[in-house]
Amino acid sequence: MAQIEFLEVAKRYANGHVALQNLNLQIRDKEFLVLLGPSGCGKSTTLNMIAGLEEVTEGSLRFDSTAVNGLPAHKRDVAMVFQSYALYPHKSVYENIAFGLRMRKHPKNEIDTRVRSAARDLEIEHLLDRLPGQLSGGQRQRVALGRAMVRQPAVFLMDEPLSNLDATLRISMRASIKALHQSMQTTFVYVTHDQAEALTLADRIVVMRQGVVQQIGTPDDIYERPANTFVANFLGNPPINFIDGVVQDDGSEPCFRSGELSLAFDEQLRAELAGCAGKKVTIGIRAEDIDEDATYADCQLTGEITSLLPVGSDQFIGLQNGGRVMFFRVGKERSYRVGDRLSVSVNPRRMHIFDQASGVNLRANAS
Amino acid sequence: MSSALLAKRLALLVGSVLMLMYVLGPVAWLLSSSLQREADITSIPPHWIPSPPTFSSFKAIIDAGTGAVSTDGNASFVPSTAEYLLPALRNSLIVASAVVVLNLLVSIPAAYAMAKIRYIGRDMSVYFMLATRVIPDIALIVPFFLFVRKLGLLDNLGALIITYLAITIPFSVFMLLSYFESLPDELDKAARVDGCSRVQALIKIFLPLAQPSLVAVILFTFLTSWNEFLFALMFTQTAASQTVPIIVASFTSDFTTSFSFINAAGVVAIVPPVIIAVVFERYIVSGLSAGAVKG
Amino acid sequence: MSASDQRSAMLLLSPMMAVLLAVAVFPVLYSLWTSLFDIKLTRMNNVSFVGLGNYVTTFLDPMFWAAVGRTAWFTVSAVLAIMVIATLMALLLNQEFRGRRILSTALLIPWAIPYVVDGLMWKWIYDSGYGALNGLLLQLGLIKHYLVWLGDTHKTLALICSAFVWKEVPLATILLLVTLKSVSPDLYAAARVDGANVWGRLLHVTLPAMRPGFMLVMIYEAMMAVRHFDLFFILTEGGPADASHVLSWHIYVETFRNLSFGTGAAIAYLLALATFGMSYAIIRLLGKRL
Repeated sequence: MAQIEFLEVAKRYANGHVALQNLNLQIRDKEFLVLLGPSGCGKSTTLNMIAGLEEVTEGSLRFDSTAVNGLPAHKRDVAMVFQSYALYPHKSVYENIAFGLRMRKHPKNEIDTRVRSAARDLEIEHLLDRLPGQLSGGQRQRVALGRAMVRQPAVFLMDEPLSNLDATLRISMRASIKALHQSMQTTFVYVTHDQAEALTLADRIVVMRQGVVQQIGTPDDIYERPANTFVANFLGNPPINFIDGVVQDDGSEPCFRSGELSLAFDEQLRAELAGCAGKKVTIGIRAEDIDEDATYADCQLTGEITSLLPVGSDQFIGLQNGGRVMFFRVGKERSYRVGDRLSVSVNPRRMHIFDQASGVNLRANAS
Repeated sequence: MSSALLAKRLALLVGSVLMLMYVLGPVAWLLSSSLQREADITSIPPHWIPSPPTFSSFKAIIDAGTGAVSTDGNASFVPSTAEYLLPALRNSLIVASAVVVLNLLVSIPAAYAMAKIRYIGRDMSVYFMLATRVIPDIALIVPFFLFVRKLGLLDNLGALIITYLAITIPFSVFMLLSYFESLPDELDKAARVDGCSRVQALIKIFLPLAQPSLVAVILFTFLTSWNEFLFALMFTQTAASQTVPIIVASFTSDFTTSFSFINAAGVVAIVPPVIIAVVFERYIVSGLSAGAVKG
Repeated sequence: MSASDQRSAMLLLSPMMAVLLAVAVFPVLYSLWTSLFDIKLTRMNNVSFVGLGNYVTTFLDPMFWAAVGRTAWFTVSAVLAIMVIATLMALLLNQEFRGRRILSTALLIPWAIPYVVDGLMWKWIYDSGYGALNGLLLQLGLIKHYLVWLGDTHKTLALICSAFVWKEVPLATILLLVTLKSVSPDLYAAARVDGANVWGRLLHVTLPAMRPGFMLVMIYEAMMAVRHFDLFFILTEGGPADASHVLSWHIYVETFRNLSFGTGAAIAYLLALATFGMSYAIIRLLGKRL
């Protein structure tokens, strides 16, 4: 049983720096939760608090309804994989993996069984006698995983475990970690700054920024209904395109206006924004929602191509319109040149809209 | 070979020779003098190379220690305190070893705490520790002397041991501290998550990894204790507790002593420290480099 | 940090604190206390409080100031000599060449031997009747007959300084070598591309990068020189005619020969304050970038 609960938790350091504020989070048993955000957002601090490596300054941290604020790390049933793997350089791979079990006084033969079984699963059986210094990065990472796996802990913590790997390995390891979660049926808490990783792995994502939780939800929730501009910008590759402007009511229906540009809203927004003429807003348009055909007549933009990057089977286009550049992808069928004028259209139902000052999502069904 | 490379090689050779002469010259002469007869080294100019080398001075030292009468011509120039040289060697060894052991027991935990635990008062404790060494030893001799005298510990090896302990702790802690700091924090975290308390993490993980630093600390502590003179001069009065530097110093003030004997005594006095330093040479640099310039 | 961490830390620190407080702090305070009394070992029953009287006596004593002057000369000369020689040796040892290991091992020998033997060794070399220095110079034809060395008041302090420098150079060299090794090779590469030759690289990359090392060595050696005692005891006992009567010797004489503990403690305390002030001054003046 491993339900973890943060109740009004804050983390303050002696020098006044606040790493976390008002953290309220319930981590469900067996879920794969990802803490996502840029550096300094407090995600590693949160993880360390679950591990018992850092103290909770305010609020209550509970495991299965029991407060564990003062419980030291070595008494908690958590295992952790570190960004730098933190393998003991003077111990063999076998000893590295076995260490946690030895410290908890498991019987010898049980240790041996568990270590070898984990090594087999991770395909590092042939490395058991080597020292960490003799292994490649990918191999070390698997040893670090093995060390955590054998403990069969109630909670599995991972602090950016893939960021030191090269790109191809990273992708294959993501699949392995997901599979591991399925087979272990344990709560996983995973920290990363890589939004693609979060979207792939998570059951739920907690997006954080400067110590404050921005949004908690499933990958779909977060991607489709971002709570604010920060979340919208952080997720998605290439990043979402923002345009600042105002709601204009030219007598008929509200629409978006920015300088010369005018874009229509869908029915839902037209209803919500009736009577909000003059309201300053920011709209967000994802690259995949920009079409090079004139599918949506009242939602068109014309601009000059300022950059053109071939990316595998697509082209990455930067289109300049009224002082801003928007990025989107098109197929390679049509060939463009820098300087060409191009008209694109935007699906109004896929348009995000945020309050310009606060960044908060204005759509009623945003999470 | 280009002329620039040749010039560089030549410069290196000349530099090396000069350095070697500067560093080893005096010691070589010490050694050479100890292996010659008195007449040879007091000639003008002296014979530079012993031919043939003779161990009579060394024999005289051993004879003096065992109370035997030396049948060599050098016998009459043996200083009155010569018989104490061998016991002094024993005293120095006892003191130095004891200090090393105690030093490690005290310094390692302190250094670990300072390096890895961000406790209240950490910076202050580091400064305090370093500050205890800023005061010159001579400033301490009066209170030390009175204190030790009051405790009746004059002429007792224990007084030396505890004093040397206090002298060597700051440098040891500082070296170990810097080395521990250079070990990744995540190792400490991994150990704690794996089930180690702080103390267990220190013993099982950090100590094995800190070998170069430990060796450097042992080396430094041993040498400092072996070579120390001022406090030994104050605290010791008889052969029961006098260490090697004191006995050797007593030779130089005895005007009837033969030079070859003194030089032989000098050689005997430096054999242990030199051997230790040479054997552990590579640890000194690596132990210092993690410690020194971060200062 | 957590309460249990704080407890662990206190536990781990307690042995060290106990030793230092008992053996290092207490004597310093007691030393200050002693300096305020007129204490003579010859009449321990008759001890009177004189406040700053001992200090006044000291400041009025011309011997004291002479000793200060000699100490200052000794220290400055020693530090300069050590810096120059150690820098040259460190630069040499930083090069890669066969036999370098032999050199660095040999370097350790002066460091390993006790000052007592160092003194004894140089005393033998400087001996006016049979010393190697005389012998060498005679053989090289530089002198016609044996000279007095340590006994010559003009040469005494310089000779003791040489013996001191000889033994201090190894540690200084190692400390500087460590600094040298931490210079990134990229800097040298960039300098070469920019057109600097050997001297240019030395002047503009190496020496500036060694600044923290220089600072450390200067402070450490200055402190060592100011308080040095052993050689003065072995070689000249403050003589001849007080030529080598430095502060540390002055304290020794006052305490153990004149048996005046009060004034001895006072002078010692002044020396302690001066050492403190000196290291502070060096750090502030020259150490913006340590």
